[in-house]
Amino acid sequence: MIPVEHYIALSSILFTIGGIGFLARRNMILLLVSIEVMLNAVNLALVAFNRARPETHAGQMLSFFLIAAEAAELAIGLAIVLAVYRLKKTVRVDDANLLRH
Amino acid sequence: MMPSILALMPMLVIGFGALALMLAEVLTDAKTGLAVGTAVVLFTAAAFACAGWMVGPENLGDAAVFAPWLVFDRFTLFFEVLLALSGALAALVAGGYLREHGIDRGEFYAILSFSTLGAMMLAAAGDVLMLFVGLETMSIGAYALAGFRRGSPKSAEGALKYFLLGSFAAALMMFGFALLYGATGHTDLAGLHNALASESLRSPSIVIALALVLAGLAFKVSAVPFHMWTPDAYEGAPTPATAFMAASVKAGGFAVLLRVLLTVFGDERSASWATGWPPVVALLAVLTMTVANLVAGRQESIKRMLAYSSIAHAGYLLVGVVAAIRAPAQAQSAVLFYLATYSVSTIGAFAALVLCGSRGAEVVSYEDLAGLGRRHPAVALPFAFFILSLAGMPPMAGFFGKWFVFKAAMDAGLHGLTVIAFINSVIAAYYYLKVFVFLYMREPAAGAPIAKPMWSGEVVTAIALCAFFVLLLGLAPGAVLDAALAVGGAG
Repeated sequence: MIPVEHYIALSSILFTIGGIGFLARRNMILLLVSIEVMLNAVNLALVAFNRARPETHAGQMLSFFLIAAEAAELAIGLAIVLAVYRLKKTVRVDDANLLRH
Repeated sequence: MMPSILALMPMLVIGFGALALMLAEVLTDAKTGLAVGTAVVLFTAAAFACAGWMVGPENLGDAAVFAPWLVFDRFTLFFEVLLALSGALAALVAGGYLREHGIDRGEFYAILSFSTLGAMMLAAAGDVLMLFVGLETMSIGAYALAGFRRGSPKSAEGALKYFLLGSFAAALMMFGFALLYGATGHTDLAGLHNALASESLRSPSIVIALALVLAGLAFKVSAVPFHMWTPDAYEGAPTPATAFMAASVKAGGFAVLLRVLLTVFGDERSASWATGWPPVVALLAVLTMTVANLVAGRQESIKRMLAYSSIAHAGYLLVGVVAAIRAPAQAQSAVLFYLATYSVSTIGAFAALVLCGSRGAEVVSYEDLAGLGRRHPAVALPFAFFILSLAGMPPMAGFFGKWFVFKAAMDAGLHGLTVIAFINSVIAAYYYLKVFVFLYMREPAAGAPIAKPMWSGEVVTAIALCAFFVLLLGLAPGAVLDAALAVGGAG
Protein backbone atom coordinates (compact mmCIF):
# COMPACT_ATOMS: atom_id res chain seq x y z
CA MET A 1 0.00 0.00 0.00
CA ILE A 2 1.28 3.44 -0.90
CA PRO A 3 1.79 5.45 2.31
CA VAL A 4 -0.44 8.47 2.80
CA GLU A 5 2.55 10.84 2.81
CA HIS A 6 3.11 10.16 -0.88
CA TYR A 7 -0.43 11.20 -1.70
CA ILE A 8 -0.09 14.32 0.38
CA ALA A 9 3.19 15.19 -1.32
CA LEU A 10 1.53 14.78 -4.73
CA SER A 11 -1.47 16.78 -3.58
CA SER A 12 0.75 19.60 -2.29
CA ILE A 13 2.67 19.66 -5.56
CA LEU A 14 -0.57 19.80 -7.54
CA PHE A 15 -1.89 22.56 -5.30
CA THR A 16 1.30 24.56 -5.75
CA ILE A 17 1.21 24.08 -9.52
CA GLY A 18 -2.38 25.29 -9.56
CA GLY A 19 -1.55 28.26 -7.36
CA ILE A 20 1.44 29.30 -9.46
CA GLY A 21 -0.60 28.81 -12.60
CA PHE A 22 -3.33 31.04 -11.22
CA LEU A 23 -0.86 33.78 -10.37
CA ALA A 24 1.30 33.53 -13.50
CA ARG A 25 -1.12 32.75 -16.31
CA ARG A 26 -2.95 35.49 -18.17
CA ASN A 27 -5.52 33.47 -20.08
CA MET A 28 -8.93 33.35 -18.39
CA ILE A 29 -9.60 29.75 -19.40
CA LEU A 30 -6.24 28.68 -17.99
CA LEU A 31 -7.04 30.51 -14.78
CA LEU A 32 -10.19 28.39 -14.50
CA VAL A 33 -8.09 25.29 -15.16
CA SER A 34 -5.63 26.35 -12.45
CA ILE A 35 -8.45 26.71 -9.94
CA GLU A 36 -9.68 23.25 -10.90
CA VAL A 37 -6.19 21.81 -10.37
CA MET A 38 -6.09 23.39 -6.91
CA LEU A 39 -9.52 22.06 -5.96
CA ASN A 40 -8.67 18.59 -7.22
CA ALA A 41 -5.51 18.66 -5.13
CA VAL A 42 -7.84 19.27 -2.20
CA ASN A 43 -9.97 16.29 -3.26
CA LEU A 44 -6.94 14.06 -3.50
CA ALA A 45 -5.77 15.11 -0.05
CA LEU A 46 -9.21 14.48 1.42
CA VAL A 47 -9.56 11.02 -0.08
CA ALA A 48 -6.01 10.04 0.89
CA PHE A 49 -6.49 11.23 4.47
CA ASN A 50 -9.76 9.32 4.58
CA ARG A 51 -7.98 6.15 3.50
CA ALA A 52 -5.60 6.60 6.40
CA ARG A 53 -8.58 6.88 8.77
CA PRO A 54 -11.06 4.34 7.40
CA GLU A 55 -13.38 4.42 10.46
CA THR A 56 -15.51 7.29 9.04
CA HIS A 57 -16.20 8.60 5.57
CA ALA A 58 -16.08 12.31 6.36
CA GLY A 59 -13.25 13.07 3.95
CA GLN A 60 -14.79 11.19 1.02
CA MET A 61 -18.15 12.80 1.57
CA LEU A 62 -16.59 16.23 1.65
CA SER A 63 -14.77 15.51 -1.60
CA PHE A 64 -18.04 14.49 -3.29
CA PHE A 65 -19.63 17.77 -2.28
CA LEU A 66 -16.50 19.59 -3.44
CA ILE A 67 -16.77 18.00 -6.87
CA ALA A 68 -20.44 18.98 -7.18
CA ALA A 69 -19.89 22.55 -6.01
CA GLU A 70 -16.84 22.88 -8.26
CA ALA A 71 -18.95 21.98 -11.25
CA ALA A 72 -21.52 24.64 -10.36
CA GLU A 73 -18.80 27.18 -9.77
CA LEU A 74 -17.14 26.42 -13.07
CA ALA A 75 -20.45 26.77 -14.90
CA ILE A 76 -20.84 30.29 -13.57
CA GLY A 77 -17.17 30.99 -14.26
CA LEU A 78 -17.42 29.93 -17.89
CA ALA A 79 -20.58 31.99 -18.27
CA ILE A 80 -18.76 35.05 -16.96
CA VAL A 81 -15.75 34.40 -19.21
CA LEU A 82 -18.12 34.07 -22.19
CA ALA A 83 -19.82 37.34 -21.27
CA VAL A 84 -16.45 39.07 -21.12
CA TYR A 85 -15.39 37.49 -24.41
CA ARG A 86 -18.58 38.61 -26.17
CA LEU A 87 -18.02 42.19 -25.07
CA LYS A 88 -14.28 42.47 -25.47
CA LYS A 89 -13.31 39.68 -27.92
CA THR A 90 -10.44 38.61 -25.71
CA VAL A 91 -9.74 36.06 -23.00
CA ARG A 92 -6.65 37.76 -21.62
CA VAL A 93 -7.13 39.11 -18.11
CA ASP A 94 -4.74 42.00 -18.80
CA ASP A 95 -7.29 43.38 -21.24
CA ALA A 96 -9.89 43.52 -18.48
CA ASN A 97 -8.78 46.95 -17.40
CA LEU A 98 -11.87 49.16 -17.48
CA LEU A 99 -12.17 49.38 -13.73
CA ARG A 100 -9.35 51.46 -12.36
CA HIS A 101 -9.18 54.25 -9.90
CA MET B 1 -41.25 17.86 16.53
CA MET B 2 -42.70 21.33 16.28
CA PRO B 3 -39.78 23.26 17.76
CA SER B 4 -37.20 21.48 15.62
CA ILE B 5 -39.09 22.41 12.46
CA LEU B 6 -39.10 25.97 13.74
CA ALA B 7 -35.29 25.90 13.80
CA LEU B 8 -35.20 25.05 10.11
CA MET B 9 -38.09 27.30 9.08
CA PRO B 10 -36.06 30.39 8.09
CA MET B 11 -34.00 28.35 5.63
CA LEU B 12 -36.96 26.31 4.40
CA VAL B 13 -39.02 29.45 3.78
CA ILE B 14 -36.22 31.04 1.75
CA GLY B 15 -35.41 27.86 -0.16
CA PHE B 16 -38.98 27.11 -1.19
CA GLY B 17 -39.74 30.82 -1.55
CA ALA B 18 -36.90 31.16 -4.04
CA LEU B 19 -38.20 28.17 -6.01
CA ALA B 20 -41.67 29.72 -6.03
CA LEU B 21 -40.18 33.00 -7.25
CA MET B 22 -38.48 31.17 -10.12
CA LEU B 23 -41.78 29.52 -11.05
CA ALA B 24 -43.65 32.81 -10.79
CA GLU B 25 -41.10 34.41 -13.07
CA VAL B 26 -41.60 31.74 -15.72
CA LEU B 27 -45.36 31.27 -15.44
CA THR B 28 -46.46 34.89 -15.24
CA ASP B 29 -45.48 37.97 -17.16
CA ALA B 30 -45.87 40.23 -14.18
CA LYS B 31 -42.38 41.19 -13.10
CA THR B 32 -43.37 44.06 -10.88
CA GLY B 33 -44.49 41.90 -7.99
CA LEU B 34 -41.30 39.84 -7.75
CA ALA B 35 -39.33 42.34 -5.67
CA VAL B 36 -42.15 42.67 -3.17
CA GLY B 37 -42.63 38.88 -3.21
CA THR B 38 -38.94 38.35 -2.42
CA ALA B 39 -39.12 40.88 0.38
CA VAL B 40 -42.19 39.12 1.81
CA VAL B 41 -40.42 35.74 1.67
CA LEU B 42 -37.34 37.12 3.40
CA PHE B 43 -39.30 39.08 6.01
CA THR B 44 -41.24 35.87 6.77
CA ALA B 45 -37.95 34.05 7.24
CA ALA B 46 -36.77 36.80 9.57
CA ALA B 47 -40.02 36.49 11.54
CA PHE B 48 -39.50 32.73 11.92
CA ALA B 49 -35.94 33.34 13.09
CA CYS B 50 -37.30 35.83 15.64
CA ALA B 51 -39.82 33.23 16.77
CA GLY B 52 -36.99 30.73 17.14
CA TRP B 53 -35.14 33.31 19.21
CA MET B 54 -38.11 33.71 21.53
CA VAL B 55 -38.63 29.96 21.94
CA GLY B 56 -34.92 29.77 22.63
CA PRO B 57 -32.43 27.58 20.78
CA GLU B 58 -32.01 25.41 23.89
CA ASN B 59 -35.63 24.30 23.38
CA LEU B 60 -34.96 23.37 19.77
CA GLY B 61 -32.87 20.42 20.86
CA ASP B 62 -34.02 17.73 18.48
CA ALA B 63 -33.20 19.93 15.49
CA ALA B 64 -29.72 18.46 15.79
CA VAL B 65 -31.18 15.02 15.05
CA PHE B 66 -32.19 15.70 11.48
CA ALA B 67 -29.83 18.58 10.76
CA PRO B 68 -26.68 17.44 12.52
CA TRP B 69 -24.36 19.62 10.48
CA LEU B 70 -26.13 22.84 11.31
CA VAL B 71 -25.75 24.59 14.63
CA PHE B 72 -28.85 26.30 15.95
CA ASP B 73 -27.70 28.72 18.60
CA ARG B 74 -28.36 32.41 19.19
CA PHE B 75 -25.39 33.26 16.99
CA THR B 76 -27.07 31.52 14.05
CA LEU B 77 -30.46 33.09 14.78
CA PHE B 78 -28.97 36.59 15.04
CA PHE B 79 -27.35 36.19 11.64
CA GLU B 80 -30.51 34.67 10.16
CA VAL B 81 -32.49 37.77 11.13
CA LEU B 82 -29.75 40.12 9.94
CA LEU B 83 -29.23 38.31 6.62
CA ALA B 84 -32.94 37.98 5.88
CA LEU B 85 -33.52 41.68 6.54
CA SER B 86 -30.50 42.74 4.45
CA GLY B 87 -31.62 40.49 1.61
CA ALA B 88 -35.16 41.86 1.74
CA LEU B 89 -33.96 45.46 1.69
CA ALA B 90 -31.62 44.74 -1.24
CA ALA B 91 -34.50 43.06 -3.10
CA LEU B 92 -36.67 46.13 -2.62
CA VAL B 93 -33.90 48.35 -3.99
CA ALA B 94 -33.56 45.97 -6.94
CA GLY B 95 -37.29 46.30 -7.65
CA GLY B 96 -36.90 49.95 -8.51
CA TYR B 97 -33.42 49.80 -9.98
CA LEU B 98 -33.81 46.91 -12.42
CA ARG B 99 -37.04 48.31 -13.89
CA GLU B 100 -35.54 51.78 -14.30
CA HIS B 101 -32.40 50.50 -16.00
CA GLY B 102 -34.10 48.00 -18.30
CA ILE B 103 -32.54 44.83 -16.87
CA ASP B 104 -35.72 43.67 -15.20
CA ARG B 105 -35.14 39.92 -15.39
CA GLY B 106 -36.82 37.87 -12.70
CA GLU B 107 -33.92 35.56 -11.94
CA PHE B 108 -32.25 38.34 -9.96
CA TYR B 109 -34.64 37.74 -7.06
CA ALA B 110 -34.28 33.96 -7.03
CA ILE B 111 -30.48 34.25 -7.13
CA LEU B 112 -30.56 36.83 -4.35
CA SER B 113 -32.75 34.56 -2.20
CA PHE B 114 -30.57 31.50 -2.77
CA SER B 115 -27.48 33.53 -2.03
CA THR B 116 -29.06 34.70 1.24
CA LEU B 117 -29.84 31.07 2.02
CA GLY B 118 -26.17 30.23 1.43
CA ALA B 119 -25.08 32.99 3.78
CA MET B 120 -27.43 31.58 6.45
CA MET B 121 -26.02 28.09 5.98
CA LEU B 122 -22.57 29.62 6.35
CA ALA B 123 -23.55 31.26 9.63
CA ALA B 124 -25.15 28.04 10.86
CA ALA B 125 -22.43 25.66 9.66
CA GLY B 126 -21.26 23.16 12.23
CA ASP B 127 -19.23 21.10 9.80
CA VAL B 128 -16.65 21.92 7.14
CA LEU B 129 -18.92 20.30 4.54
CA MET B 130 -21.82 22.59 5.39
CA LEU B 131 -19.45 25.53 5.60
CA PHE B 132 -18.21 24.85 2.09
CA VAL B 133 -21.67 24.26 0.62
CA GLY B 134 -22.95 27.46 2.26
CA LEU B 135 -19.95 29.42 1.08
CA GLU B 136 -20.36 28.25 -2.50
CA THR B 137 -24.14 28.78 -2.50
CA MET B 138 -23.61 32.33 -1.30
CA SER B 139 -20.64 33.10 -3.55
CA ILE B 140 -21.97 31.58 -6.77
CA GLY B 141 -25.11 33.67 -6.37
CA ALA B 142 -23.04 36.76 -5.67
CA TYR B 143 -20.89 36.19 -8.80
CA ALA B 144 -24.03 35.94 -10.90
CA LEU B 145 -25.50 39.08 -9.35
CA ALA B 146 -22.26 41.00 -9.90
CA GLY B 147 -22.35 40.14 -13.59
CA PHE B 148 -26.08 40.60 -13.91
CA ARG B 149 -25.84 43.49 -16.35
CA ARG B 150 -24.64 41.24 -19.15
CA GLY B 151 -24.30 43.93 -21.77
CA SER B 152 -22.06 46.11 -19.68
CA PRO B 153 -18.31 45.47 -19.99
CA LYS B 154 -17.78 46.89 -16.51
CA SER B 155 -20.28 44.51 -14.94
CA ALA B 156 -18.76 41.49 -16.70
CA GLU B 157 -15.25 42.57 -15.77
CA GLY B 158 -16.14 43.13 -12.12
CA ALA B 159 -17.85 39.73 -11.99
CA LEU B 160 -14.81 38.08 -13.59
CA LYS B 161 -12.40 39.50 -11.02
CA TYR B 162 -14.77 38.65 -8.19
CA PHE B 163 -15.23 35.11 -9.47
CA LEU B 164 -11.53 34.38 -10.06
CA LEU B 165 -10.31 35.68 -6.72
CA GLY B 166 -13.31 34.26 -4.87
CA SER B 167 -12.75 30.73 -6.21
CA PHE B 168 -9.02 31.03 -5.57
CA ALA B 169 -9.79 31.96 -1.97
CA ALA B 170 -12.21 29.05 -1.63
CA ALA B 171 -9.53 26.67 -2.92
CA LEU B 172 -6.98 28.02 -0.42
CA MET B 173 -9.43 27.64 2.42
CA MET B 174 -10.45 24.11 1.47
CA PHE B 175 -6.82 22.98 1.25
CA GLY B 176 -6.39 24.35 4.75
CA PHE B 177 -9.40 22.38 5.97
CA ALA B 178 -8.15 19.24 4.18
CA LEU B 179 -4.85 19.54 6.08
CA LEU B 180 -6.77 20.00 9.33
CA TYR B 181 -8.81 16.90 8.54
CA GLY B 182 -5.60 15.00 7.95
CA ALA B 183 -4.11 16.15 11.23
CA THR B 184 -7.18 15.57 13.39
CA GLY B 185 -9.56 13.25 11.53
CA HIS B 186 -12.45 15.66 12.07
CA THR B 187 -14.53 17.74 9.72
CA ASP B 188 -17.00 18.96 12.34
CA LEU B 189 -16.01 22.29 13.82
CA ALA B 190 -16.54 21.24 17.44
CA GLY B 191 -14.49 18.08 16.89
CA LEU B 192 -11.73 20.12 15.26
CA HIS B 193 -11.72 22.48 18.22
CA ASN B 194 -11.46 19.63 20.74
CA ALA B 195 -8.72 17.91 18.78
CA LEU B 196 -6.71 21.11 18.43
CA ALA B 197 -7.21 22.01 22.08
CA SER B 198 -6.55 18.66 23.70
CA GLU B 199 -3.87 16.92 21.71
CA SER B 200 -0.30 17.98 22.03
CA LEU B 201 -0.57 18.39 18.31
CA ARG B 202 2.23 20.59 17.04
CA SER B 203 2.46 19.52 13.47
CA PRO B 204 3.57 22.22 11.05
CA SER B 205 0.59 21.32 8.85
CA ILE B 206 -1.72 22.97 11.40
CA VAL B 207 0.11 26.26 11.09
CA ILE B 208 -0.07 26.03 7.29
CA ALA B 209 -3.75 25.14 7.55
CA LEU B 210 -4.41 28.13 9.79
CA ALA B 211 -2.60 30.43 7.37
CA LEU B 212 -4.53 29.07 4.36
CA VAL B 213 -7.91 29.26 6.10
CA LEU B 214 -7.19 32.76 7.33
CA ALA B 215 -6.16 33.90 3.85
CA GLY B 216 -9.34 32.43 2.37
CA LEU B 217 -11.51 34.12 4.99
CA ALA B 218 -9.67 37.43 4.54
CA PHE B 219 -10.54 37.31 0.83
CA LYS B 220 -14.20 36.79 1.67
CA VAL B 221 -14.41 39.71 4.07
CA SER B 222 -12.14 41.76 1.73
CA ALA B 223 -9.37 42.54 4.19
CA VAL B 224 -6.26 44.26 2.80
CA PRO B 225 -4.12 42.85 1.13
CA PHE B 226 -6.81 40.45 -0.13
CA HIS B 227 -9.19 43.24 -1.17
CA MET B 228 -8.19 43.80 -4.80
CA TRP B 229 -11.46 42.44 -6.20
CA THR B 230 -13.73 44.52 -4.00
CA PRO B 231 -13.69 47.97 -5.62
CA ASP B 232 -13.94 46.50 -9.12
CA ALA B 233 -16.76 44.10 -8.28
CA TYR B 234 -18.65 46.77 -6.33
CA GLU B 235 -18.29 49.36 -9.08
CA GLY B 236 -19.19 47.03 -11.92
CA ALA B 237 -22.17 45.32 -10.30
CA PRO B 238 -25.69 46.76 -10.54
CA THR B 239 -26.17 48.93 -7.44
CA PRO B 240 -28.66 46.61 -5.63
CA ALA B 241 -26.22 43.74 -6.11
CA THR B 242 -23.48 45.95 -4.68
CA ALA B 243 -25.66 46.67 -1.66
CA PHE B 244 -26.28 42.95 -1.26
CA MET B 245 -22.57 42.14 -1.51
CA ALA B 246 -21.61 44.92 0.88
CA ALA B 247 -24.16 43.88 3.51
CA SER B 248 -25.15 40.21 3.26
CA VAL B 249 -22.02 38.66 1.74
CA LYS B 250 -19.85 40.57 4.18
CA ALA B 251 -22.05 39.57 7.13
CA GLY B 252 -21.88 35.93 6.00
CA GLY B 253 -18.10 36.22 5.72
CA PHE B 254 -17.81 37.62 9.22
CA ALA B 255 -20.15 34.96 10.59
CA VAL B 256 -17.88 32.20 9.33
CA LEU B 257 -14.75 34.13 10.32
CA LEU B 258 -16.01 34.39 13.90
CA ARG B 259 -17.14 30.78 13.92
CA VAL B 260 -13.85 29.45 12.57
CA LEU B 261 -11.48 31.66 14.54
CA LEU B 262 -13.35 31.47 17.86
CA THR B 263 -14.55 27.87 17.65
CA VAL B 264 -12.02 25.89 15.63
CA PHE B 265 -8.96 27.98 16.42
CA GLY B 266 -10.27 29.14 19.80
CA ASP B 267 -7.93 26.94 21.81
CA GLU B 268 -5.34 28.52 24.04
CA ARG B 269 -2.39 28.09 21.77
CA SER B 270 -4.03 29.21 18.52
CA ALA B 271 -5.81 32.18 20.11
CA SER B 272 -2.89 33.49 22.14
CA TRP B 273 -1.07 36.65 21.22
CA ALA B 274 2.33 34.97 21.18
CA THR B 275 1.70 31.80 19.19
CA GLY B 276 -1.53 32.12 17.25
CA TRP B 277 -3.63 34.16 14.85
CA PRO B 278 -4.36 37.34 16.88
CA PRO B 279 -1.24 39.31 15.82
CA VAL B 280 -1.88 38.35 12.18
CA VAL B 281 -5.52 39.45 12.34
CA ALA B 282 -4.47 42.64 14.15
CA LEU B 283 -2.01 43.38 11.34
CA LEU B 284 -4.76 42.69 8.78
CA ALA B 285 -7.05 45.07 10.69
CA VAL B 286 -4.48 47.88 10.74
CA LEU B 287 -3.64 47.43 7.05
CA THR B 288 -7.31 47.19 6.09
CA MET B 289 -8.37 50.34 7.92
CA THR B 290 -5.39 52.45 6.92
CA VAL B 291 -5.06 51.49 3.27
CA ALA B 292 -8.82 51.58 2.63
CA ASN B 293 -9.29 54.98 4.23
CA LEU B 294 -6.30 56.52 2.47
CA VAL B 295 -7.30 55.14 -0.93
CA ALA B 296 -11.00 55.97 -0.47
CA GLY B 297 -10.14 59.66 -0.27
CA ARG B 298 -8.61 59.55 -3.74
CA GLN B 299 -11.61 58.00 -5.49
CA GLU B 300 -13.67 59.92 -7.99
CA SER B 301 -16.43 57.34 -8.32
CA ILE B 302 -18.98 57.28 -5.51
CA LYS B 303 -19.43 53.53 -5.74
CA ARG B 304 -15.68 52.97 -5.48
CA MET B 305 -15.58 55.29 -2.50
CA LEU B 306 -18.35 53.27 -0.85
CA ALA B 307 -16.46 50.06 -1.74
CA TYR B 308 -13.33 51.30 0.01
CA SER B 309 -15.50 52.49 2.87
CA SER B 310 -16.89 48.96 3.19
CA ILE B 311 -13.32 47.62 3.26
CA ALA B 312 -12.49 50.10 6.02
CA HIS B 313 -15.52 48.91 7.99
CA ALA B 314 -14.21 45.35 7.65
CA GLY B 315 -11.04 46.67 9.29
CA TYR B 316 -12.94 48.05 12.29
CA LEU B 317 -14.78 44.72 12.55
CA LEU B 318 -11.46 42.85 12.55
CA VAL B 319 -10.39 44.98 15.54
CA GLY B 320 -13.44 43.57 17.33
CA VAL B 321 -12.49 40.04 16.26
CA VAL B 322 -9.00 40.46 17.77
CA ALA B 323 -10.54 41.83 20.97
CA ALA B 324 -12.58 38.64 21.22
CA ILE B 325 -9.53 36.69 22.42
CA ARG B 326 -9.47 38.60 25.72
CA ALA B 327 -13.12 39.58 26.21
CA PRO B 328 -14.98 37.02 24.10
CA ALA B 329 -18.59 37.79 25.04
CA GLN B 330 -18.28 41.56 24.92
CA ALA B 331 -16.21 41.75 21.74
CA GLN B 332 -18.29 39.23 19.83
CA SER B 333 -21.51 41.05 20.65
CA ALA B 334 -19.86 44.34 19.65
CA VAL B 335 -18.96 42.82 16.27
CA LEU B 336 -22.52 41.54 15.78
CA PHE B 337 -24.00 44.91 16.70
CA TYR B 338 -21.54 46.66 14.39
CA LEU B 339 -22.53 44.34 11.53
CA ALA B 340 -26.20 45.22 12.11
CA THR B 341 -25.54 48.97 12.09
CA TYR B 342 -23.19 48.72 9.11
CA SER B 343 -25.62 46.60 7.07
CA VAL B 344 -28.58 48.96 7.38
CA SER B 345 -26.39 52.04 6.84
CA THR B 346 -24.68 50.70 3.75
CA ILE B 347 -27.87 49.34 2.12
CA GLY B 348 -29.49 52.68 2.87
CA ALA B 349 -26.60 54.54 1.25
CA PHE B 350 -26.76 52.43 -1.90
CA ALA B 351 -30.57 52.72 -1.99
CA ALA B 352 -30.31 56.50 -1.74
CA LEU B 353 -27.65 56.45 -4.47
CA VAL B 354 -30.06 54.51 -6.69
CA LEU B 355 -32.75 57.10 -6.07
CA CYS B 356 -30.37 59.96 -6.99
CA GLY B 357 -29.93 58.69 -10.56
CA SER B 358 -32.07 57.45 -13.40
CA ARG B 359 -31.56 55.61 -16.66
CA GLY B 360 -28.75 57.21 -18.62
CA ALA B 361 -28.21 59.73 -15.84
CA GLU B 362 -26.82 57.60 -13.05
CA VAL B 363 -24.75 59.02 -10.27
CA VAL B 364 -21.21 57.85 -10.96
CA SER B 365 -18.80 60.47 -9.69
CA TYR B 366 -18.84 63.19 -7.09
CA GLU B 367 -19.36 65.71 -9.88
CA ASP B 368 -22.73 64.13 -10.65
CA LEU B 369 -23.87 64.95 -7.14
CA ALA B 370 -22.92 68.63 -7.42
CA GLY B 371 -25.80 70.86 -6.40
CA LEU B 372 -28.20 67.94 -5.90
CA GLY B 373 -29.02 69.23 -2.41
CA ARG B 374 -30.45 72.40 -3.93
CA ARG B 375 -32.08 70.88 -7.01
CA HIS B 376 -33.61 67.82 -5.36
CA PRO B 377 -33.44 68.13 -1.58
CA ALA B 378 -35.76 65.16 -1.05
CA VAL B 379 -33.33 62.64 -2.61
CA ALA B 380 -30.15 64.33 -1.38
CA LEU B 381 -31.25 64.19 2.24
CA PRO B 382 -31.44 60.37 2.59
CA PHE B 383 -28.03 59.96 0.94
CA ALA B 384 -26.52 62.50 3.33
CA PHE B 385 -28.27 60.77 6.24
CA PHE B 386 -26.77 57.33 5.53
CA ILE B 387 -23.35 58.78 4.76
CA LEU B 388 -23.44 60.36 8.22
CA SER B 389 -24.29 57.00 9.74
CA LEU B 390 -21.41 55.33 7.87
CA ALA B 391 -19.10 58.08 9.09
CA GLY B 392 -20.16 57.26 12.65
CA MET B 393 -21.86 60.52 13.56
CA PRO B 394 -24.04 60.40 16.67
CA PRO B 395 -26.97 59.82 17.03
CA MET B 396 -26.87 57.52 14.01
CA ALA B 397 -26.42 53.76 14.26
CA GLY B 398 -22.85 53.88 12.97
CA PHE B 399 -21.70 55.83 16.00
CA PHE B 400 -22.79 53.20 18.50
CA GLY B 401 -21.43 50.40 16.32
CA LYS B 402 -17.97 51.97 16.40
CA TRP B 403 -18.33 52.92 20.07
CA PHE B 404 -18.99 49.35 21.22
CA VAL B 405 -16.22 47.84 19.08
CA PHE B 406 -13.66 50.42 20.23
CA LYS B 407 -14.78 50.00 23.84
CA ALA B 408 -14.43 46.22 23.59
CA ALA B 409 -10.93 46.68 22.15
CA MET B 410 -10.01 49.08 24.97
CA ASP B 411 -11.35 46.68 27.60
CA ALA B 412 -9.32 43.90 26.01
CA GLY B 413 -6.20 46.01 26.53
CA LEU B 414 -5.60 46.64 22.83
CA HIS B 415 -4.83 50.33 23.28
CA GLY B 416 -2.58 50.73 20.24
CA LEU B 417 -5.12 49.08 17.96
CA THR B 418 -7.94 51.22 19.33
CA VAL B 419 -5.97 54.42 18.78
CA ILE B 420 -5.23 53.42 15.18
CA ALA B 421 -8.91 52.58 14.61
CA PHE B 422 -9.93 55.93 16.09
CA ILE B 423 -7.47 57.90 13.94
CA ASN B 424 -8.78 56.01 10.93
CA SER B 425 -12.37 56.90 11.64
CA VAL B 426 -11.27 60.55 11.72
CA ILE B 427 -9.48 60.18 8.37
CA ALA B 428 -12.64 58.58 6.99
CA ALA B 429 -14.61 61.73 7.80
CA TYR B 430 -12.68 63.43 4.97
CA TYR B 431 -14.21 61.46 2.15
CA TYR B 432 -17.62 61.21 3.75
CA LEU B 433 -17.75 64.98 4.20
CA LYS B 434 -16.64 65.41 0.60
CA VAL B 435 -20.08 64.04 -0.31
CA PHE B 436 -21.65 66.88 1.68
CA VAL B 437 -19.48 69.49 0.00
CA PHE B 438 -20.65 68.28 -3.39
CA LEU B 439 -24.27 67.80 -2.37
CA TYR B 440 -24.77 71.17 -0.77
CA MET B 441 -21.92 73.55 -1.63
CA ARG B 442 -21.02 72.97 -5.25
CA GLU B 443 -22.76 73.87 -8.45
CA PRO B 444 -22.46 71.46 -11.38
CA ALA B 445 -19.78 72.33 -13.89
CA ALA B 446 -21.13 73.68 -17.17
CA GLY B 447 -21.89 70.86 -19.61
CA ALA B 448 -21.26 68.13 -17.05
CA PRO B 449 -23.72 65.24 -17.07
CA ILE B 450 -26.33 65.92 -14.43
CA ALA B 451 -27.92 63.08 -12.50
CA LYS B 452 -31.71 63.05 -12.60
CA PRO B 453 -33.47 61.42 -9.66
CA MET B 454 -35.87 58.57 -10.29
CA TRP B 455 -39.02 57.60 -8.46
CA SER B 456 -39.77 54.14 -7.15
CA GLY B 457 -42.03 53.08 -4.32
CA GLU B 458 -39.90 50.02 -3.57
CA VAL B 459 -36.68 51.99 -3.22
CA VAL B 460 -38.39 54.60 -1.06
CA THR B 461 -39.76 51.82 1.16
CA ALA B 462 -36.27 50.32 1.47
CA ILE B 463 -34.85 53.73 2.37
CA ALA B 464 -37.57 54.34 4.94
CA LEU B 465 -36.93 50.94 6.55
CA CYS B 466 -33.16 51.49 6.57
CA ALA B 467 -33.62 54.94 8.08
CA PHE B 468 -35.91 53.47 10.72
CA PHE B 469 -33.31 50.85 11.66
CA VAL B 470 -30.49 53.40 11.62
CA LEU B 471 -32.39 55.64 14.03
CA LEU B 472 -33.56 52.69 16.12
CA LEU B 473 -30.02 51.35 16.50
CA GLY B 474 -28.73 54.86 17.10
CA LEU B 475 -31.31 56.21 19.52
CA ALA B 476 -32.50 53.03 21.21
CA PRO B 477 -29.78 50.42 20.70
CA GLY B 478 -30.90 48.56 23.84
CA ALA B 479 -32.97 45.77 22.31
CA VAL B 480 -30.53 44.80 19.55
CA LEU B 481 -27.58 45.21 21.87
CA ASP B 482 -29.20 42.91 24.41
CA ALA B 483 -29.73 40.38 21.63
CA ALA B 484 -26.08 40.65 20.60
CA LEU B 485 -25.02 40.29 24.23
CA ALA B 486 -27.22 37.20 24.58
CA VAL B 487 -25.30 35.71 21.64
CA GLY B 488 -21.98 36.53 23.27
CA GLY B 489 -23.11 35.12 26.60
CA ALA B 490 -24.33 31.89 25.05
CA GLY B 491 -21.33 31.43 22.76
